[in-house]
Amino acid sequence: MRLFWASARFQALKLRHSLDDLMVLVTLPLFTIAFMAIVTEAGRFDLAPYAVVGTGIMAIWSIALFVSGEIIDSERWNGTLDATVAAPASLATIVLGRIAVVTLISLFGLAESAFAAWAVFGVWVQVHHVGVFLLTLACTFFAMVGTAMIMSGFFVLARSAVQFQNSMSYPFYVLGGVFVPVAVLPGWLQPVSKVVFLSWAADLLRDCLQPAPVTQVLLRLGIILLLGAVAMAIGYVLIRRVLHRVRHQGTVSFT
Amino acid sequence: MRAAIGDNARVLRYAFISAMADLRAIYTWRTWTFAWLLRMLAQVSMFALLGKMLGSAARTQYLLVGNAVLVMAFAVLAICASTAWERMAGTLPLLIASPTAPFVVFAGRSVQWLLDGVGCSLVSLFLLAPLFGVRLPMPAALLVVPLVVLIAVSVYCFGLVLASIALRAMRLRSLIANTGSLSLMVLAGVQVSVSFWPAPVQYLANVLPLTHGLQAVREVLADGRLADIGRQAALECSVALGWLVLAGLAFRHLAESGRRDGSIEFGG
Repeated sequence: MRLFWASARFQALKLRHSLDDLMVLVTLPLFTIAFMAIVTEAGRFDLAPYAVVGTGIMAIWSIALFVSGEIIDSERWNGTLDATVAAPASLATIVLGRIAVVTLISLFGLAESAFAAWAVFGVWVQVHHVGVFLLTLACTFFAMVGTAMIMSGFFVLARSAVQFQNSMSYPFYVLGGVFVPVAVLPGWLQPVSKVVFLSWAADLLRDCLQPAPVTQVLLRLGIILLLGAVAMAIGYVLIRRVLHRVRHQGTVSFT
Repeated sequence: MRAAIGDNARVLRYAFISAMADLRAIYTWRTWTFAWLLRMLAQVSMFALLGKMLGSAARTQYLLVGNAVLVMAFAVLAICASTAWERMAGTLPLLIASPTAPFVVFAGRSVQWLLDGVGCSLVSLFLLAPLFGVRLPMPAALLVVPLVVLIAVSVYCFGLVLASIALRAMRLRSLIANTGSLSLMVLAGVQVSVSFWPAPVQYLANVLPLTHGLQAVREVLADGRLADIGRQAALECSVALGWLVLAGLAFRHLAESGRRDGSIEFGG
């Protein structure tokens, strides 16, 4: 745990000096305004939660993709991966601690998005089921950390995958029902959405903003946790493979 | 005069060659098609699905057309990054010291994004429109092709101004490009009509690239009058020219102030 907290503290300090890493949080209000404008012009204020939840989740995913996905590579570029690999500390735990901080900060995107909707359009999105909302956020946090672990390992193991990094945003926003519920997608895509944790998280968060009771809470939270746990296990395996590969090939550093 | 034009044309040609080399280094046809283009298609589809969710065919068409044209701006504004790469590579002092105006080099240095952007826009529009039941009146709809090229050039000129800012604030280059493209997304009539916004915002929208060109595209697809289409295209040309002049001044100021205060250094 000491290692986890130390790496988390390091990441928090690092973020203070790297504005680019949190760029999504700077531009997020513009996304919120774009979506809110669409629903406002259509006279559908009831869809304001879609705009707020959608842009909030977009921030969480985007930051995980671009910051967490590059954690191991950044250690490599900075020349610190050598020392990290040589130390008895677990690289996976270090990555986990750093990803956890990045993901935690990205959750503020939801509040920021809600604020932008209120400040520009005067629409206040109310959380009707606070307990379920907080639980969903906690599960989303866990699942996002797990998924980011996969990205972190995958982008190092498969160098060509980095070319796809820029492209993993909108396809997942569509598949994950981030702005538009999965039910609106073509039928053949809907089963794929079920294995993307974002679809469960987005649905549940939107339900928490509606007055009607939220149904099947435990089942839905359980699925988010399950998908997150599977992702985290895969992430751990990938990071172990990264370590194995760089040790055997002598490619810990780029020099 | 003729010699100067010839020199600038030669510089532009080499800048273009350099830009195309960049494009080949960044993408293979596979990564462009299955990664980048796929992302753009997903972006346009997401907004078109939003239109479907609103239960309106007109809204679906509005969002699909607007976003299909907009994705070009997302690609073209990578000019902020590719301009900043020159400074990172340490070539800026050499460009400033050379007899050619740096603006000429930078004006041609990032044209790869024009090809990229126009390709993404046209594929998105012509591929997704039938899938979402949006009617493309043929052969009139083919007029969209030169209009998208015109809009891309206009966004490129706007991007040159942003790139001149990115050269001064290198760490913010991505933020500058993203803010530029998202501002176009919000204000230029992509998601909602320009008249949705308060009057001062409308004035701003009218001097931004994309606004008039996109309106011309919408006129074409709505079987609009040729005079209206031509008027919007002419306005887009004027906006592009305005941004190009501004970009020229911005780059000249960058070079002059850099010479004066010694801020043009090797490396970023």
